[in-house]
Amino acid sequence: MSATPSSARPLLAIPRRIGLVVIALADQLGGAGMLLGQVLVRLRPRRIDRYELFRNLHRMGVRSLPIIAATAAFTGGIMVIQAAPFVEKYNAKNFVGWAATFTTFRELGPLLIALIFNGRVGANNTAELGTMKVTDQVDALRALAIDPVGYLVVPRVIAMVVMMVALCVIGDAVALGGAVLTADLLLDVDPRIFLSSALERLDTWDFLVGLIKSLLFGLMIALMSCYYGLATRGGAPGVGRAVNASVVASAAGVFVADYLSTFVLE
Amino acid sequence: MIRLEDIHKRYRSPVLRGIDLHVPAGCIYALIGPGASGKSVLLKVVAGLVRPERGKVYVDGEELGELDDLGLASVRRKIGMLFQNYALFDMTVFENIAFPLRRLYDLPDTEVRERVAERLARVALPGTEDRDPSRMSGGQKKRIGVARATVARPPIVLYDEPTAGLDPVTSQKIYDLIRDEQRAQGTTVMVISSDVSGVLSIADRVGMLHEGELVFDGTAEEARDSTIPAVRQFVHGLVEGPL
Ligand SMILES: Nc1ncnc2c1ncn2[C@@H]1O[C@H](COP(=O)(O)OP(=O)(O)O)[C@@H](O)[C@H]1O
Ligand SMILES: [Mg+2]
Repeated sequence: MSATPSSARPLLAIPRRIGLVVIALADQLGGAGMLLGQVLVRLRPRRIDRYELFRNLHRMGVRSLPIIAATAAFTGGIMVIQAAPFVEKYNAKNFVGWAATFTTFRELGPLLIALIFNGRVGANNTAELGTMKVTDQVDALRALAIDPVGYLVVPRVIAMVVMMVALCVIGDAVALGGAVLTADLLLDVDPRIFLSSALERLDTWDFLVGLIKSLLFGLMIALMSCYYGLATRGGAPGVGRAVNASVVASAAGVFVADYLSTFVLE
Repeated sequence: MIRLEDIHKRYRSPVLRGIDLHVPAGCIYALIGPGASGKSVLLKVVAGLVRPERGKVYVDGEELGELDDLGLASVRRKIGMLFQNYALFDMTVFENIAFPLRRLYDLPDTEVRERVAERLARVALPGTEDRDPSRMSGGQKKRIGVARATVARPPIVLYDEPTAGLDPVTSQKIYDLIRDEQRAQGTTVMVISSDVSGVLSIADRVGMLHEGELVFDGTAEEARDSTIPAVRQFVHGLVEGPL
Protein backbone atom coordinates (compact mmCIF):
# COMPACT_ATOMS: atom_id res chain seq x y z
CA MET A 1 0.00 0.00 0.00
CA SER A 2 1.41 3.40 -0.91
CA ALA A 3 0.47 5.43 2.11
CA THR A 4 -0.26 8.84 0.66
CA PRO A 5 -2.18 10.91 3.17
CA SER A 6 -5.34 12.25 1.56
CA SER A 7 -4.40 15.80 2.56
CA ALA A 8 -1.27 15.56 0.42
CA ARG A 9 -3.35 15.07 -2.70
CA PRO A 10 -6.18 17.51 -2.53
CA LEU A 11 -7.34 16.62 -6.03
CA LEU A 12 -7.80 13.00 -5.07
CA ALA A 13 -9.66 13.90 -1.91
CA ILE A 14 -12.81 14.90 -3.79
CA PRO A 15 -13.39 11.68 -5.76
CA ARG A 16 -12.40 9.80 -2.64
CA ARG A 17 -15.07 11.60 -0.63
CA ILE A 18 -17.63 10.93 -3.35
CA GLY A 19 -16.59 7.29 -3.45
CA LEU A 20 -17.00 6.94 0.29
CA VAL A 21 -20.43 8.56 0.21
CA VAL A 22 -21.55 6.26 -2.61
CA ILE A 23 -20.31 3.22 -0.71
CA ALA A 24 -22.04 4.35 2.48
CA LEU A 25 -25.26 5.00 0.56
CA ALA A 26 -25.14 1.61 -1.14
CA ASP A 27 -24.44 0.01 2.23
CA GLN A 28 -27.45 1.68 3.82
CA LEU A 29 -29.82 1.10 0.93
CA GLY A 30 -28.67 -2.52 0.84
CA GLY A 31 -29.25 -2.82 4.58
CA ALA A 32 -32.75 -1.35 4.36
CA GLY A 33 -33.49 -3.57 1.34
CA MET A 34 -32.39 -6.65 3.22
CA LEU A 35 -34.55 -5.63 6.14
CA LEU A 36 -37.51 -5.47 3.73
CA GLY A 37 -36.75 -9.03 2.65
CA GLN A 38 -36.54 -10.18 6.27
CA VAL A 39 -39.86 -8.52 7.02
CA LEU A 40 -41.56 -10.07 4.00
CA VAL A 41 -40.58 -13.65 4.87
CA ARG A 42 -42.00 -13.13 8.36
CA LEU A 43 -45.36 -11.82 7.18
CA ARG A 44 -47.43 -14.77 8.30
CA PRO A 45 -50.54 -13.62 10.13
CA ARG A 46 -50.34 -16.13 12.92
CA ARG A 47 -46.74 -15.31 13.71
CA ILE A 48 -47.26 -11.59 14.13
CA ASP A 49 -47.13 -10.39 17.70
CA ARG A 50 -50.65 -9.00 18.21
CA TYR A 51 -49.90 -7.11 21.37
CA GLU A 52 -46.93 -5.28 19.85
CA LEU A 53 -48.93 -4.55 16.69
CA PHE A 54 -51.84 -2.91 18.52
CA ARG A 55 -49.53 -1.03 20.86
CA ASN A 56 -47.72 0.45 17.88
CA LEU A 57 -50.89 1.18 15.92
CA HIS A 58 -52.14 3.15 18.87
CA ARG A 59 -49.08 5.19 19.67
CA MET A 60 -48.02 5.79 16.07
CA GLY A 61 -51.43 6.52 14.60
CA VAL A 62 -53.88 7.72 17.17
CA ARG A 63 -51.42 10.06 18.81
CA SER A 64 -50.39 11.57 15.49
CA LEU A 65 -53.96 12.52 14.63
CA PRO A 66 -54.06 16.08 16.01
CA ILE A 67 -50.92 17.30 14.23
CA ILE A 68 -51.85 15.54 10.99
CA ALA A 69 -55.36 16.99 11.08
CA ALA A 70 -53.99 20.49 11.65
CA THR A 71 -51.56 20.12 8.76
CA ALA A 72 -54.27 18.84 6.44
CA ALA A 73 -56.71 21.61 7.33
CA PHE A 74 -54.11 24.27 6.58
CA THR A 75 -53.05 22.54 3.38
CA GLY A 76 -56.61 22.57 2.09
CA GLY A 77 -56.96 26.21 3.05
CA ILE A 78 -53.66 27.23 1.50
CA MET A 79 -54.55 25.60 -1.80
CA VAL A 80 -57.70 27.73 -1.94
CA ILE A 81 -55.75 30.88 -1.10
CA GLN A 82 -53.29 30.03 -3.86
CA ALA A 83 -56.14 29.70 -6.32
CA ALA A 84 -57.88 32.85 -5.14
CA PRO A 85 -56.35 35.41 -7.57
CA PHE A 86 -57.27 33.30 -10.58
CA VAL A 87 -60.72 32.56 -9.29
CA GLU A 88 -61.38 36.27 -8.89
CA LYS A 89 -59.70 37.26 -12.16
CA TYR A 90 -61.56 34.76 -14.33
CA ASN A 91 -64.56 34.36 -12.07
CA ALA A 92 -63.85 30.65 -11.96
CA LYS A 93 -65.82 29.81 -8.85
CA ASN A 94 -66.90 26.54 -10.41
CA PHE A 95 -63.34 25.34 -10.59
CA VAL A 96 -61.99 26.24 -7.21
CA GLY A 97 -63.20 23.02 -5.56
CA TRP A 98 -61.48 20.88 -8.12
CA ALA A 99 -58.29 22.96 -8.26
CA ALA A 100 -57.83 22.87 -4.51
CA THR A 101 -58.56 19.18 -3.97
CA PHE A 102 -56.82 17.68 -7.01
CA THR A 103 -53.30 18.63 -5.94
CA THR A 104 -54.03 18.08 -2.28
CA PHE A 105 -55.33 14.54 -2.73
CA ARG A 106 -52.79 13.41 -5.28
CA GLU A 107 -49.66 15.12 -4.13
CA LEU A 108 -49.50 17.63 -1.34
CA GLY A 109 -51.52 15.75 1.26
CA PRO A 110 -49.54 12.50 1.18
CA LEU A 111 -46.22 14.34 0.94
CA LEU A 112 -46.79 16.72 3.84
CA ILE A 113 -48.33 14.02 6.01
CA ALA A 114 -45.34 11.77 5.27
CA LEU A 115 -42.86 14.47 6.24
CA ILE A 116 -44.64 15.12 9.52
CA PHE A 117 -45.03 11.40 10.14
CA ASN A 118 -41.29 11.02 9.51
CA GLY A 119 -40.38 13.74 11.97
CA ARG A 120 -42.69 12.47 14.63
CA VAL A 121 -43.12 8.71 14.33
CA GLY A 122 -40.03 7.79 12.30
CA ALA A 123 -37.63 9.74 14.52
CA ASN A 124 -39.24 8.34 17.63
CA ASN A 125 -39.03 4.83 16.25
CA THR A 126 -35.32 5.14 15.45
CA ALA A 127 -34.63 6.57 18.89
CA GLU A 128 -36.50 3.75 20.56
CA LEU A 129 -34.87 0.94 18.61
CA GLY A 130 -31.48 2.64 18.89
CA THR A 131 -31.80 2.86 22.65
CA MET A 132 -32.79 -0.79 22.78
CA LYS A 133 -29.75 -1.65 20.69
CA VAL A 134 -27.15 0.26 22.72
CA THR A 135 -28.53 -0.90 26.07
CA ASP A 136 -28.35 -4.54 24.94
CA GLN A 137 -32.13 -4.99 24.95
CA VAL A 138 -31.97 -6.36 21.41
CA ASP A 139 -29.41 -8.92 22.56
CA ALA A 140 -31.58 -9.65 25.58
CA LEU A 141 -34.44 -10.54 23.21
CA ARG A 142 -32.16 -12.78 21.16
CA ALA A 143 -30.94 -14.40 24.37
CA LEU A 144 -34.57 -15.27 25.09
CA ALA A 145 -34.78 -16.98 21.70
CA ILE A 146 -36.91 -14.11 20.33
CA ASP A 147 -36.21 -12.96 16.78
CA PRO A 148 -35.76 -9.15 16.90
CA VAL A 149 -37.00 -8.63 13.34
CA GLY A 150 -40.17 -10.60 13.97
CA TYR A 151 -40.81 -9.09 17.38
CA LEU A 152 -39.67 -5.49 16.90
CA VAL A 153 -39.61 -4.68 13.19
CA VAL A 154 -42.60 -6.50 11.65
CA PRO A 155 -45.26 -4.97 13.96
CA ARG A 156 -43.71 -1.52 13.52
CA VAL A 157 -43.61 -1.73 9.73
CA ILE A 158 -47.22 -2.91 9.53
CA ALA A 159 -48.36 -0.26 11.99
CA MET A 160 -46.56 2.54 10.16
CA VAL A 161 -47.85 1.54 6.72
CA VAL A 162 -51.43 1.09 7.94
CA MET A 163 -51.35 4.34 9.86
CA MET A 164 -49.86 6.36 7.00
CA VAL A 165 -52.71 5.24 4.73
CA ALA A 166 -55.33 5.82 7.42
CA LEU A 167 -53.93 9.24 8.25
CA CYS A 168 -53.99 10.08 4.56
CA VAL A 169 -57.70 9.23 4.29
CA ILE A 170 -58.44 11.32 7.36
CA GLY A 171 -56.14 14.04 6.08
CA ASP A 172 -58.03 14.18 2.77
CA ALA A 173 -61.32 14.61 4.58
CA VAL A 174 -59.95 17.32 6.86
CA ALA A 175 -58.22 19.09 3.98
CA LEU A 176 -61.49 19.11 2.09
CA GLY A 177 -63.13 20.67 5.13
CA GLY A 178 -60.40 23.30 5.40
CA ALA A 179 -60.71 24.11 1.72
CA VAL A 180 -64.51 24.42 1.84
CA LEU A 181 -64.32 26.70 4.83
CA THR A 182 -61.60 28.90 3.36
CA ALA A 183 -63.39 29.14 0.01
CA ASP A 184 -66.58 30.14 1.76
CA LEU A 185 -64.98 32.78 3.96
CA LEU A 186 -62.44 34.16 1.53
CA LEU A 187 -63.97 33.82 -1.92
CA ASP A 188 -67.61 33.54 -0.97
CA VAL A 189 -67.90 30.23 -2.81
CA ASP A 190 -70.96 28.34 -1.68
CA PRO A 191 -69.90 25.00 -0.06
CA ARG A 192 -72.37 23.17 -2.33
CA ILE A 193 -70.79 24.60 -5.47
CA PHE A 194 -67.36 23.83 -4.10
CA LEU A 195 -68.23 20.23 -3.33
CA SER A 196 -70.03 19.54 -6.58
CA SER A 197 -67.09 20.99 -8.52
CA ALA A 198 -64.70 18.82 -6.56
CA LEU A 199 -66.75 15.65 -6.81
CA GLU A 200 -67.64 16.01 -10.48
CA ARG A 201 -64.16 16.51 -11.76
CA LEU A 202 -62.25 14.34 -9.31
CA ASP A 203 -61.76 10.69 -10.10
CA THR A 204 -61.68 7.91 -7.55
CA TRP A 205 -58.27 7.39 -9.08
CA ASP A 206 -57.04 10.79 -7.88
CA PHE A 207 -57.93 9.74 -4.37
CA LEU A 208 -56.37 6.31 -4.82
CA VAL A 209 -53.11 7.74 -6.16
CA GLY A 210 -52.75 9.59 -2.86
CA LEU A 211 -53.36 6.41 -0.90
CA ILE A 212 -50.88 4.39 -2.94
CA LYS A 213 -48.31 7.11 -2.40
CA SER A 214 -48.90 7.16 1.35
CA LEU A 215 -48.50 3.42 1.42
CA LEU A 216 -45.13 3.74 -0.30
CA PHE A 217 -44.07 6.63 1.91
CA GLY A 218 -45.12 4.73 5.03
CA LEU A 219 -43.10 1.73 3.94
CA MET A 220 -40.10 3.93 3.19
CA ILE A 221 -40.21 5.66 6.58
CA ALA A 222 -40.80 2.38 8.40
CA LEU A 223 -37.90 0.56 6.79
CA MET A 224 -35.45 3.44 7.10
CA SER A 225 -36.31 4.20 10.70
CA CYS A 226 -36.10 0.54 11.74
CA TYR A 227 -32.88 0.00 9.82
CA TYR A 228 -31.12 3.02 11.32
CA GLY A 229 -32.45 2.16 14.76
CA LEU A 230 -31.13 -1.39 14.74
CA ALA A 231 -27.81 -0.30 13.20
CA THR A 232 -27.17 2.15 16.06
CA ARG A 233 -23.79 1.94 17.75
CA GLY A 234 -21.94 3.94 20.33
CA GLY A 235 -24.16 4.67 23.30
CA ALA A 236 -26.47 7.66 23.73
CA PRO A 237 -24.56 9.88 21.26
CA GLY A 238 -24.96 7.07 18.74
CA VAL A 239 -28.74 7.20 19.20
CA GLY A 240 -28.71 10.92 18.37
CA ARG A 241 -26.69 10.30 15.23
CA ALA A 242 -28.97 7.47 14.17
CA VAL A 243 -32.12 9.58 14.56
CA ASN A 244 -30.56 12.36 12.54
CA ALA A 245 -29.46 10.03 9.74
CA SER A 246 -32.81 8.25 9.73
CA VAL A 247 -34.91 11.42 9.39
CA VAL A 248 -32.75 12.74 6.56
CA ALA A 249 -32.63 9.42 4.70
CA SER A 250 -36.38 8.84 5.07
CA ALA A 251 -37.21 12.33 3.81
CA ALA A 252 -34.92 11.85 0.83
CA GLY A 253 -36.45 8.43 0.23
CA VAL A 254 -39.97 9.88 0.36
CA PHE A 255 -39.10 12.48 -2.28
CA VAL A 256 -37.49 9.91 -4.56
CA ALA A 257 -40.48 7.57 -4.15
CA ASP A 258 -42.80 10.51 -4.84
CA TYR A 259 -40.93 11.52 -7.97
CA LEU A 260 -40.92 8.00 -9.37
CA SER A 261 -44.48 7.15 -8.42
CA THR A 262 -45.83 10.39 -9.90
CA PHE A 263 -44.48 9.15 -13.24
CA VAL A 264 -45.92 5.69 -12.88
CA LEU A 265 -49.30 6.66 -11.42
CA GLU A 266 -50.57 8.84 -14.28
CA MET B 1 -21.02 -27.91 29.82
CA ILE B 2 -19.38 -24.88 28.22
CA ARG B 3 -16.25 -25.24 26.18
CA LEU B 4 -14.46 -22.65 24.08
CA GLU B 5 -11.74 -23.59 21.62
CA ASP B 6 -9.40 -21.04 20.12
CA ILE B 7 -11.92 -18.19 20.03
CA HIS B 8 -10.92 -15.14 18.02
CA LYS B 9 -13.02 -12.01 17.74
CA ARG B 10 -12.09 -8.56 16.54
CA TYR B 11 -13.94 -5.32 16.13
CA ARG B 12 -11.60 -2.52 15.10
CA SER B 13 -8.75 -4.23 16.85
CA PRO B 14 -8.54 -7.79 18.15
CA VAL B 15 -10.66 -8.25 21.27
CA LEU B 16 -10.36 -11.99 21.89
CA ARG B 17 -7.17 -13.67 20.73
CA GLY B 18 -7.33 -17.42 21.00
CA ILE B 19 -9.37 -18.22 24.09
CA ASP B 20 -9.54 -21.85 25.28
CA LEU B 21 -11.74 -22.37 28.26
CA HIS B 22 -13.78 -25.11 29.91
CA VAL B 23 -16.58 -24.73 32.43
CA PRO B 24 -17.72 -28.13 33.77
CA ALA B 25 -21.38 -28.68 34.62
CA GLY B 26 -22.34 -27.34 38.04
CA CYS B 27 -19.32 -25.07 38.26
CA ILE B 28 -19.24 -21.40 39.20
CA TYR B 29 -16.66 -19.87 36.91
CA ALA B 30 -15.51 -16.34 37.72
CA LEU B 31 -14.18 -14.26 34.87
CA ILE B 32 -12.02 -11.37 36.00
CA GLY B 33 -9.77 -8.90 34.26
CA PRO B 34 -9.24 -5.19 33.69
CA GLY B 35 -11.78 -3.04 31.81
CA ALA B 36 -12.06 -3.51 28.05
CA SER B 37 -10.21 -6.83 28.21
CA GLY B 38 -13.06 -8.58 26.40
CA LYS B 39 -15.01 -10.13 29.27
CA SER B 40 -18.44 -9.00 28.12
CA VAL B 41 -17.71 -9.99 24.53
CA LEU B 42 -16.64 -13.43 25.71
CA LEU B 43 -19.89 -13.89 27.63
CA LYS B 44 -21.87 -12.92 24.53
CA VAL B 45 -19.90 -15.43 22.50
CA VAL B 46 -20.98 -18.13 24.95
CA ALA B 47 -24.63 -17.06 24.63
CA GLY B 48 -24.36 -17.19 20.84
CA LEU B 49 -25.04 -13.44 20.58
CA VAL B 50 -21.66 -12.68 19.04
CA ARG B 51 -20.18 -14.96 16.41
CA PRO B 52 -16.42 -15.43 16.69
CA GLU B 53 -14.36 -15.23 13.49
CA ARG B 54 -12.52 -18.34 14.43
CA GLY B 55 -12.92 -21.10 16.98
CA LYS B 56 -15.68 -23.29 18.35
CA VAL B 57 -18.21 -22.77 21.12
CA TYR B 58 -19.77 -25.85 22.69
CA VAL B 59 -22.77 -25.38 24.96
CA ASP B 60 -24.27 -28.55 26.43
CA GLY B 61 -22.59 -30.61 23.74
CA GLU B 62 -23.70 -28.53 20.74
CA GLU B 63 -21.37 -26.44 18.62
CA LEU B 64 -23.06 -23.07 18.14
CA GLY B 65 -21.43 -22.39 14.77
CA GLU B 66 -23.13 -25.43 13.25
CA LEU B 67 -26.63 -24.62 14.46
CA ASP B 68 -29.36 -22.96 12.39
CA ASP B 69 -31.67 -20.35 13.92
CA LEU B 70 -33.94 -22.98 15.41
CA GLY B 71 -31.08 -24.91 16.97
CA LEU B 72 -29.58 -21.72 18.33
CA ALA B 73 -32.93 -20.75 19.81
CA SER B 74 -33.18 -24.07 21.62
CA VAL B 75 -29.69 -23.63 23.09
CA ARG B 76 -30.56 -20.10 24.21
CA ARG B 77 -33.54 -21.41 26.15
CA LYS B 78 -31.06 -23.15 28.41
CA ILE B 79 -29.25 -19.90 29.14
CA GLY B 80 -30.25 -17.06 31.43
CA MET B 81 -28.27 -13.87 31.04
CA LEU B 82 -27.74 -10.71 33.04
CA PHE B 83 -26.33 -7.90 30.90
CA GLN B 84 -23.77 -5.39 32.09
CA ASN B 85 -26.09 -2.46 31.40
CA TYR B 86 -29.24 -4.27 32.62
CA ALA B 87 -31.01 -4.42 29.22
CA LEU B 88 -34.36 -4.02 30.98
CA PHE B 89 -37.33 -3.47 28.69
CA ASP B 90 -39.58 -0.44 28.74
CA MET B 91 -42.18 -2.23 30.88
CA THR B 92 -42.95 -2.56 34.58
CA VAL B 93 -40.71 -4.58 36.88
CA PHE B 94 -43.28 -7.37 36.90
CA GLU B 95 -43.57 -7.53 33.11
CA ASN B 96 -39.78 -7.57 32.76
CA ILE B 97 -39.33 -10.52 35.07
CA ALA B 98 -42.39 -12.35 33.75
CA PHE B 99 -41.23 -11.85 30.16
CA PRO B 100 -39.05 -15.00 29.87
CA LEU B 101 -41.72 -17.11 31.60
CA ARG B 102 -44.47 -15.91 29.28
CA ARG B 103 -42.31 -16.22 26.19
CA LEU B 104 -40.76 -19.60 26.86
CA TYR B 105 -43.48 -21.39 28.81
CA ASP B 106 -47.22 -21.46 28.95
CA LEU B 107 -47.86 -21.02 32.66
CA PRO B 108 -51.06 -20.01 34.45
CA ASP B 109 -51.12 -16.36 35.57
CA THR B 110 -51.15 -17.19 39.26
CA GLU B 111 -47.97 -19.19 38.93
CA VAL B 112 -46.27 -16.42 36.98
CA ARG B 113 -47.23 -13.97 39.75
CA GLU B 114 -45.91 -16.29 42.44
CA ARG B 115 -42.62 -16.89 40.70
CA VAL B 116 -42.02 -13.21 40.02
CA ALA B 117 -42.80 -12.37 43.66
CA GLU B 118 -40.45 -15.10 44.84
CA ARG B 119 -37.65 -13.77 42.60
CA LEU B 120 -38.17 -10.21 43.81
CA ALA B 121 -37.97 -11.35 47.41
CA ARG B 122 -34.73 -13.19 46.62
CA VAL B 123 -33.10 -10.07 45.19
CA ALA B 124 -34.30 -8.00 48.15
CA LEU B 125 -36.83 -5.94 46.19
CA PRO B 126 -40.15 -7.39 47.39
CA GLY B 127 -43.35 -5.63 46.35
CA THR B 128 -41.81 -3.55 43.55
CA GLU B 129 -43.82 -5.28 40.80
CA ASP B 130 -45.58 -2.19 39.52
CA ARG B 131 -42.63 0.16 39.45
CA ASP B 132 -40.96 1.49 36.33
CA PRO B 133 -37.34 0.22 36.14
CA SER B 134 -36.13 3.36 34.36
CA ARG B 135 -36.88 5.28 37.56
CA MET B 136 -34.89 2.94 39.77
CA SER B 137 -31.23 3.07 40.81
CA GLY B 138 -28.47 1.20 39.01
CA GLY B 139 -28.18 -1.32 41.81
CA GLN B 140 -31.92 -1.98 41.76
CA LYS B 141 -31.89 -2.46 37.99
CA LYS B 142 -29.05 -4.96 38.36
CA ARG B 143 -31.11 -6.98 40.81
CA ILE B 144 -34.17 -6.91 38.56
CA GLY B 145 -31.87 -8.15 35.80
CA VAL B 146 -30.72 -10.99 38.07
CA ALA B 147 -34.35 -11.87 38.79
CA ARG B 148 -35.19 -11.91 35.07
CA ALA B 149 -32.12 -13.99 34.19
CA THR B 150 -33.01 -16.69 36.71
CA VAL B 151 -36.83 -16.75 36.77
CA ALA B 152 -37.14 -19.47 34.12
CA ARG B 153 -34.63 -21.65 36.03
CA PRO B 154 -32.23 -22.14 33.14
CA PRO B 155 -29.47 -24.72 33.63
CA ILE B 156 -26.84 -22.16 32.61
CA VAL B 157 -26.70 -18.60 33.92
CA LEU B 158 -24.32 -15.91 32.69
CA TYR B 159 -23.90 -12.85 34.91
CA ASP B 160 -22.12 -9.76 33.59
CA GLU B 161 -21.11 -7.69 36.63
CA PRO B 162 -24.01 -8.65 38.91
CA THR B 163 -22.73 -6.58 41.83
CA ALA B 164 -21.45 -3.45 40.08
CA GLY B 165 -22.94 -0.44 41.83
CA LEU B 166 -24.23 -2.41 44.81
CA ASP B 167 -23.35 -1.77 48.45
CA PRO B 168 -21.31 -4.53 50.18
CA VAL B 169 -24.30 -6.02 51.99
CA THR B 170 -26.48 -6.29 48.89
CA SER B 171 -23.49 -7.57 46.92
CA GLN B 172 -23.07 -10.36 49.40
CA LYS B 173 -26.79 -11.14 49.14
CA ILE B 174 -26.45 -11.49 45.37
CA TYR B 175 -23.39 -13.72 45.71
CA ASP B 176 -25.24 -15.86 48.25
CA LEU B 177 -28.17 -16.08 45.86
CA ILE B 178 -25.92 -17.17 43.00
CA ARG B 179 -24.26 -19.83 45.12
CA ASP B 180 -27.45 -21.11 46.79
CA GLU B 181 -29.19 -21.57 43.46
CA GLN B 182 -26.14 -23.26 42.04
CA ARG B 183 -26.07 -25.68 44.97
CA ALA B 184 -29.81 -26.29 44.92
CA GLN B 185 -30.26 -26.77 41.18
CA GLY B 186 -26.80 -27.65 39.92
CA THR B 187 -26.76 -24.60 37.65
CA THR B 188 -23.64 -23.92 35.63
CA VAL B 189 -22.60 -20.32 36.17
CA MET B 190 -20.22 -17.87 34.55
CA VAL B 191 -19.90 -14.60 36.38
CA ILE B 192 -17.91 -11.53 35.43
CA SER B 193 -16.94 -9.32 38.32
CA SER B 194 -14.56 -6.51 39.17
CA ASP B 195 -15.08 -7.21 42.84
CA VAL B 196 -12.38 -9.88 42.94
CA SER B 197 -12.46 -10.83 46.62
CA GLY B 198 -16.24 -11.09 46.61
CA VAL B 199 -16.48 -13.25 43.51
CA LEU B 200 -13.59 -15.48 44.57
CA SER B 201 -15.50 -16.31 47.75
CA ILE B 202 -18.11 -18.20 45.71
CA ALA B 203 -16.17 -19.28 42.62
CA ASP B 204 -15.01 -22.83 41.97
CA ARG B 205 -12.78 -21.75 39.15
CA VAL B 206 -11.36 -18.44 37.96
CA GLY B 207 -10.17 -17.17 34.61
CA MET B 208 -8.43 -13.90 34.06
CA LEU B 209 -8.58 -12.07 30.73
CA HIS B 210 -5.90 -9.59 29.83
CA GLU B 211 -5.65 -7.95 26.43
CA GLY B 212 -7.79 -10.61 24.83
CA GLU B 213 -5.95 -13.60 26.23
CA LEU B 214 -6.75 -15.89 29.10
CA VAL B 215 -3.67 -15.31 31.22
CA PHE B 216 -4.90 -17.46 34.10
CA ASP B 217 -7.28 -20.39 34.44
CA GLY B 218 -7.47 -22.33 37.71
CA THR B 219 -9.15 -22.64 41.10
CA ALA B 220 -9.84 -19.69 43.37
CA GLU B 221 -7.04 -20.92 45.66
CA GLU B 222 -4.57 -21.00 42.82
CA ALA B 223 -5.61 -17.51 41.76
CA ARG B 224 -4.83 -16.13 45.21
CA ASP B 225 -1.43 -17.85 45.25
CA SER B 226 -0.56 -17.16 41.61
CA THR B 227 2.88 -15.77 40.95
CA ILE B 228 2.01 -14.52 37.44
CA PRO B 229 2.64 -10.78 37.87
CA ALA B 230 -0.57 -9.53 36.18
CA VAL B 231 -2.74 -12.02 38.09
CA ARG B 232 -1.06 -11.29 41.41
CA GLN B 233 -1.50 -7.57 40.88
CA PHE B 234 -5.15 -7.83 39.86
CA VAL B 235 -6.26 -10.34 42.51
CA HIS B 236 -4.59 -8.47 45.35
CA GLY B 237 -5.33 -5.00 44.03
CA LEU B 238 -1.72 -3.86 43.98
CA VAL B 239 -0.65 -0.56 42.44
CA GLU B 240 2.75 -1.83 41.34
CA GLY B 241 2.74 -4.24 38.45
CA PRO B 242 2.33 -4.75 34.73
CA LEU B 243 -1.33 -3.60 34.48
N1 LIG C 1 -20.24 -4.15 19.39
C1 LIG C 1 -18.98 -3.68 19.46
N2 LIG C 1 -18.48 -2.92 18.46
C2 LIG C 1 -17.21 -2.46 18.50
N3 LIG C 1 -16.37 -2.68 19.52
C3 LIG C 1 -16.79 -3.41 20.57
C4 LIG C 1 -18.12 -3.95 20.59
N4 LIG C 1 -18.28 -4.64 21.74
C5 LIG C 1 -17.10 -4.53 22.41
N5 LIG C 1 -16.20 -3.80 21.71
C6 LIG C 1 -14.82 -3.50 22.12
O1 LIG C 1 -14.23 -4.67 22.62
C7 LIG C 1 -13.41 -4.39 23.74
C8 LIG C 1 -13.79 -5.29 24.91
O2 LIG C 1 -15.07 -4.91 25.37
P1 LIG C 1 -15.79 -5.62 26.60
O3 LIG C 1 -15.85 -7.08 26.36
O4 LIG C 1 -17.08 -4.92 26.81
O5 LIG C 1 -14.80 -5.31 27.81
P2 LIG C 1 -14.97 -5.70 29.34
O6 LIG C 1 -13.86 -6.66 29.64
O7 LIG C 1 -14.80 -4.42 30.10
O8 LIG C 1 -16.33 -6.29 29.53
C9 LIG C 1 -13.56 -2.91 24.03
O9 LIG C 1 -12.42 -2.26 23.55
C10 LIG C 1 -14.79 -2.51 23.27
O10 LIG C 1 -14.65 -1.20 22.80
MG1 LIG D 1 -17.93 -5.66 30.38
